Amino acid sequence: MAEFSTAVKDQGSVSVVYLSGYLDAHTASMLENNFSDLISKDKFKIVVNFKDLVYISSAGLGVFMAFIEKIRENSGDIKLTTMSDKVFNIFDLLGFPLLYEIYNSEDEAVKKFEETGKVEK
Amino acid sequence: MDIKSIKLKHNIKLQLFLISASFLFIYKLFVNTDGSFVLHLINEIAAFFTVWFMILYANDIFNEKKFSPMSLVMNLGIMCAVIFLAVTFSDSLLPVLFGRISDTLKNPDFIFKIISFLYVLFFAAIISYLFLIFKEFYYLGQKKSSSIYFKTMVVFFLLASVTAVLNFFPEVSYIKNTFFIISVILIIINSLKISWIAFIKKKEKLSLLLLSVIICILFFVNLFGSSDENSHYQVLSGFSIGLGQFYKIIMIYGAVYFAVLFFTTLFHIPTAEAFDRKAQEVSSLQYFSKLITQVLDFNELAETVTDIGKKVSNGDAAWIIWKYEKVLKPIAHQNIGYLDAELISDYLFRNKPVQETSYIENLQRFEKRSQLNEPYSMILAAPLKTHDEVKGYLIVTKKGDFIFDDEDKSAIDTFSDYASVAFENSRLLEESIEKERLEKELDVAREIQRKILPAKDPVYEKLSVSSVFIPAFEVGGDYYDFFEIDEDLSAGQTNKFGFIIADVSGKGISAAFIMAEVKGIFESLSRTIESPKEILITANQILKRSLDRKNFVSAAYGVIDFKREVISIARAGHCPLLLVRNGKIKNIRPKGIGLGLNYGDQFRLSLEEIELDLADNDMIVLYTDGITEAKNSEMEDFGETKFEKILLDNSGKSADEISNEVIKEISQFSKHSTQHDDITLVILKWKQKLKIVSPSEEPGLDGMEKVNGRIQHRS
Repeated sequence: MAEFSTAVKDQGSVSVVYLSGYLDAHTASMLENNFSDLISKDKFKIVVNFKDLVYISSAGLGVFMAFIEKIRENSGDIKLTTMSDKVFNIFDLLGFPLLYEIYNSEDEAVKKFEETGKVEK
Repeated sequence: MDIKSIKLKHNIKLQLFLISASFLFIYKLFVNTDGSFVLHLINEIAAFFTVWFMILYANDIFNEKKFSPMSLVMNLGIMCAVIFLAVTFSDSLLPVLFGRISDTLKNPDFIFKIISFLYVLFFAAIISYLFLIFKEFYYLGQKKSSSIYFKTMVVFFLLASVTAVLNFFPEVSYIKNTFFIISVILIIINSLKISWIAFIKKKEKLSLLLLSVIICILFFVNLFGSSDENSHYQVLSGFSIGLGQFYKIIMIYGAVYFAVLFFTTLFHIPTAEAFDRKAQEVSSLQYFSKLITQVLDFNELAETVTDIGKKVSNGDAAWIIWKYEKVLKPIAHQNIGYLDAELISDYLFRNKPVQETSYIENLQRFEKRSQLNEPYSMILAAPLKTHDEVKGYLIVTKKGDFIFDDEDKSAIDTFSDYASVAFENSRLLEESIEKERLEKELDVAREIQRKILPAKDPVYEKLSVSSVFIPAFEVGGDYYDFFEIDEDLSAGQTNKFGFIIADVSGKGISAAFIMAEVKGIFESLSRTIESPKEILITANQILKRSLDRKNFVSAAYGVIDFKREVISIARAGHCPLLLVRNGKIKNIRPKGIGLGLNYGDQFRLSLEEIELDLADNDMIVLYTDGITEAKNSEMEDFGETKFEKILLDNSGKSADEISNEVIKEISQFSKHSTQHDDITLVILKWKQKLKIVSPSEEPGLDGMEKVNGRIQHRS
């Protein structure tokens, strides 16, 4: 099974988290650590790039649910981008598109953050 | 032999001693032995038995205790010094009291008789004591004692002493001299057997070297000072000539023994260090066996390791630095405060690569050294490895100007290897206990799941139901159930049939508990609420109270109305239901987000309820993603297309046959890979003409009660 791995890159005030491999009950804690890290550094604008993610299980989805409330309380958000059809289908079945903004490209998501930032100013 | 009889014999010896001493005393007091051989002989015999019983009595006391060689040497030195004082000062002191001793002896007065008796008795006791110490030395460190040499020597001692009485007849003095010479030869032979010297420590050997010189000289002085002109010797030999001889023999023995001891020690000094190291290795082996028994408790093991580490390296304080998820923490500190240990560890390991071997470091350059509570000056650190990975360090430290030498380092090297093995064993044990615990937990989870799911499929006149559930190794959280709604008890029939299929996020025991809760919720809601959409909305509200933020449940709930022949379905994030009708397949996918993902209006607003009229031979298929995501060895999904094709190809068959067909295909597909998720498949067939109908049975209820009972019991 392809190992799961994550990478975090800052793009201005937005943090982009790259996922690859299989995100399931056994690897979910890695992504949890990433999110905890970002929150502890007061980084609440998060874009998650799913480009290399092969599979996500319900435990993987749970990670997003665990943090979204805290992040939104701090006027941040988790925006999801670049999902394969298969991964999107999993999100879609559960109704995630109603709860999260999902974009086709990372740039789009980052731009969205910048726009809302401007409006706030 | 029991203690009582030993005591008794012991007492007899004392009594015999007292009797012979009394006899000797009286004899001395009233009998003038001058000139008569017979009277002399009686005197000698009485003296002989007095000393003999004294030695026997003292020997018993000696045997009860265990002496270290050094303490024996010290005692012997003191006794020898007492004799030395007597020999040196008797010439100036005794004549003051009694006049010339040689004259007084010829014509003793009453007081002299009494005092000389006590004087002799005192020195006889000292000589006996010396003799017993030499006996102890002889047997020390001898494994298979060849006691014959010592016994022979004692016999000749006796002969030499007893035959001293033959002084009366100068022409046979060669007899006495022969025994005396043989005694001396035996003394020399027996003195060469000094094996105990090898087993004492280097430091003790050095002090022994000095002591043996002094004691040897004292014995020589005592021997040569005890000439026939010496008052002390005159008193002794005047009292009993045999005792005087025995006294001389013991002095010779002492002089020879300590001369030999001096040279033996001298020759042992160069190898003393090597011997000490060997002895240390042996003792660390003992420590190791001590470690082995403590692997059950990590903290206890760590304490023992620091304790022993401190001992083997001669350090003042010790602690362990252990890696807890990449962070090094001081644990099990001995003789050192936590803060000191932390400060020093921080200095040692901050910004430094992992050290694979042990090393010594001076703390003089440590900039925070003044902050330490104690003036630690040096550390010795040895890595503790498990699986070739450095998991921590054993650190020993010294105060003041004392340093660690290579010997300490090699001792700690050896010991840290042992300690690593012990830590590794401890870890393996912990792992296997943990593994067992997880397996037990999984068993419990599977048991809960088994009892939650319906025991058998219900049977209706217009509907046939077939369900298959295959659990994954780790409970995956699949749940399905059937409910009888709107029962017409008088007619014995059910008007409505409710069904649910759900998948709880997460795995294992936590998923199993959520499942149990979900079952409870739907079981009760299905009786009071008719609309699937409303049921899901209410269930979501109830779950709000108990679900963790990261947990959620995907579910689809439906009701079939037997009278109206319609099916109404609502879906909360679950896989779509499939409707197979007239050789075509259709996804029934009413909108809706998963339970527990949102507790506000969004959930309610997103939910949609679909109602469909049922036609003859309609087939409704409920499933969980365990089916479509079943993997083959290439990690490919079974997929929807394949699934739908099987359903279509077999749509003419009965519900049971179709579900069997699906499961057969999936197991064929994924036979070379493990099942990651639960697989659930429920097939509902409407008004199928093939089936024989029979009255319904209540499904699943008894299972439910059991689970509820168990949860209550556990809380």
